[in-house]
Amino acid sequence: LGGPTGNLKILIPLKQVPDSTVRVKVAPDGKSVVTEGITWSISPYDEYAIEMALERKDADPSTVVAVVTVGPARTRDALRQALAMGCDEATLVTADSAAPLAIARALAKVVEEAKPDLVLCGKQASDDDQGFVGPALAELLGWPHVATITKVVPLDGGVELWREVEGGHEVWKAPLPALATVHKSEKEPRYPSLPGIMKAKKKEIPERSLSALGVDAAGPTWTVLSMEPPPVRGGGKILKDGDAKQIAQQLATALRDEAKVL
Amino acid sequence: MKTLVVADRKGSDLRRVTLELAVKARELGDATVVEIAGERYSPLPFVSALAKKVEAEKPDLVLLGATLNGRDLGARLAARLGRAYAADVTGLRAAGNALEVDKPMYAGKVRAKLRIDLPAIVSVRPGAMPLKDGAEAPQIDKVDADASAEKLTFVKLAATATAAKRVSLSEARVIVSGGRGLKGPENWHLVEELADALGGAVGASRAVTDAGWRPNEEQVGQTGKTVTPDLYVALGISGAIQHLAGMTSSKVIVAVNKDPDADIFKIADYGVVGDLFEFVPAFTDAVKKIKGNG
Ligand SMILES: Cc1cc2nc3c(=O)[nH]c(=O)nc-3n(C[C@H](O)[C@H](O)[C@H](O)COP(=O)(O)OP(=O)(O)OC[C@H]3O[C@@H](n4cnc5c(N)ncnc54)[C@H](O)[C@@H]3O)c2cc1C
Ligand SMILES: Nc1ncnc2c1ncn2[C@@H]1O[C@H](COP(=O)(O)O)[C@@H](O)[C@H]1O
Repeated sequence: LGGPTGNLKILIPLKQVPDSTVRVKVAPDGKSVVTEGITWSISPYDEYAIEMALERKDADPSTVVAVVTVGPARTRDALRQALAMGCDEATLVTADSAAPLAIARALAKVVEEAKPDLVLCGKQASDDDQGFVGPALAELLGWPHVATITKVVPLDGGVELWREVEGGHEVWKAPLPALATVHKSEKEPRYPSLPGIMKAKKKEIPERSLSALGVDAAGPTWTVLSMEPPPVRGGGKILKDGDAKQIAQQLATALRDEAKVL
Repeated sequence: MKTLVVADRKGSDLRRVTLELAVKARELGDATVVEIAGERYSPLPFVSALAKKVEAEKPDLVLLGATLNGRDLGARLAARLGRAYAADVTGLRAAGNALEVDKPMYAGKVRAKLRIDLPAIVSVRPGAMPLKDGAEAPQIDKVDADASAEKLTFVKLAATATAAKRVSLSEARVIVSGGRGLKGPENWHLVEELADALGGAVGASRAVTDAGWRPNEEQVGQTGKTVTPDLYVALGISGAIQHLAGMTSSKVIVAVNKDPDADIFKIADYGVVGDLFEFVPAFTDAVKKIKGNG
């Protein structure tokens, strides 16, 4: 990492997860999910974080956007994808598995070396649905954080962060360096362009290991006892006898008398 | 088990989830409810005050509502104290010296049972724990947020123009959601009138929030809210896997779509194949009549 000084440098820790279109299945052991043959993608909120950073770069080309992930070898593809979208640099920290706090510790080491002004995490990864690593990383660094933002505006000596809350946005000013977790970007995450893909192929992705960073993979976590799919739904009724008014009446009656939800 | 429940308010009202957690905590053993008092939630002042309280009381378990603020506070607290953390669980029970929790994962596509060693921090999805009407309001210890820990400056609150006065999505017992089939924001009165007749909240598909027809906060699905109301009505929504991830655990699902092959019908309890512009006003009338207020 290590971009030019004086310009805004944004680092995005990203996680590779099963693509949102994957029908996730529980493995025969009943404690994990099937990963063979599935499509992997950058976690959706991390894609929003990348898009948000790239929108800053569009506005000010001196902005440097770097990505990092802690994961097994396959996660290199996610970094490659981020580079193809337009990110400048990528780092892979190899780890087959690590406790959530250990992931945050590894990321903290990378942040200390790379010295970004702003770290943007996803609001939660779409596999464990935790929303832990962002706030934990800020805590380890001793930085302030703002969660679930949809907008970042650079200011003199800081950034304005728009946090989505019920009924609107709270606008916070943070000194730099700071961390935010991203809920959505202004535009949809961009697709990699062909030149972007070509450029990304040529970029080197330096690799570090957890132990080279001096981080132990252990940390407080849970043990999975079992996993199961949500109950299958089905056997629903299609109401089709009569005109709209009659069907409306039948539906209202069924919701009151049969389903008992009115 | 000794449990510390962290209270959460919406404006001046205690959120229902706080009562749900207080009841649960009493079931588990010794329960205390604490409220961090500050003008508005901000992670550093809140986590600083809460961490001190936890260190003084030494609970085995800290429970928070899995609300926007509760999830954020829980995560940073867990990192500060170096404790195990599970977010957005839908069930929990004591298991010897540990805790067993139910946690939806993979955006709701999998339900996991996890074992967590104590002491631990857990945020619980609103509405997931049973609460009988008339549950006694718990006694609340107030602790001031630690303003000296703040590094952020609050600038302003920018309200969404369409901000509704309705119940919030994650707590609503009835939700009426509109999709691209509504054709445009000018037709949303159809969704709102039905939601009002049913006494529910208004939701939307991502096609709708992306198009800017409705605010983000109304989006249901993988990258929006996960909801589990008693009744979910999907109007002009095709039923993409990412939408289903957010609402498939609703108790009763009604779908209105003109395409008989729409995926939404595969998970609907009641389906109506037809033009929503014709059906929805008729259904709103029927609901008003049956509820005796039309
Ligand atoms: C990473 C990722 C995350 C995503 N997260 C979400 C999410 O959180 N939530 C979400 O909703 N989507 C999400 N999506 C998008 C999802 O894939 C779909 O594109 C989206 O849900 C479609 O919205 P829709 O059903 O309103 O629109 P469409 O798919 O266009 O469906 C419109 C429906 O309206 C029906 N219709 C049209 N006219 C009428 C009429 N007059 N009367 C009755 N019916 C009519 C049509 O038959 C059609 O079925 C995500 C996608 C990705 C890639
Ligand atoms: N293994 C990882 N490597 C890099 N970043 C991660 C990793 N896990 C989580 N993150 C970041 O932390 C966010 C929240 O993840 P989680 O706490 O797992 O829900 C993600 O959206 C990423 O930005």
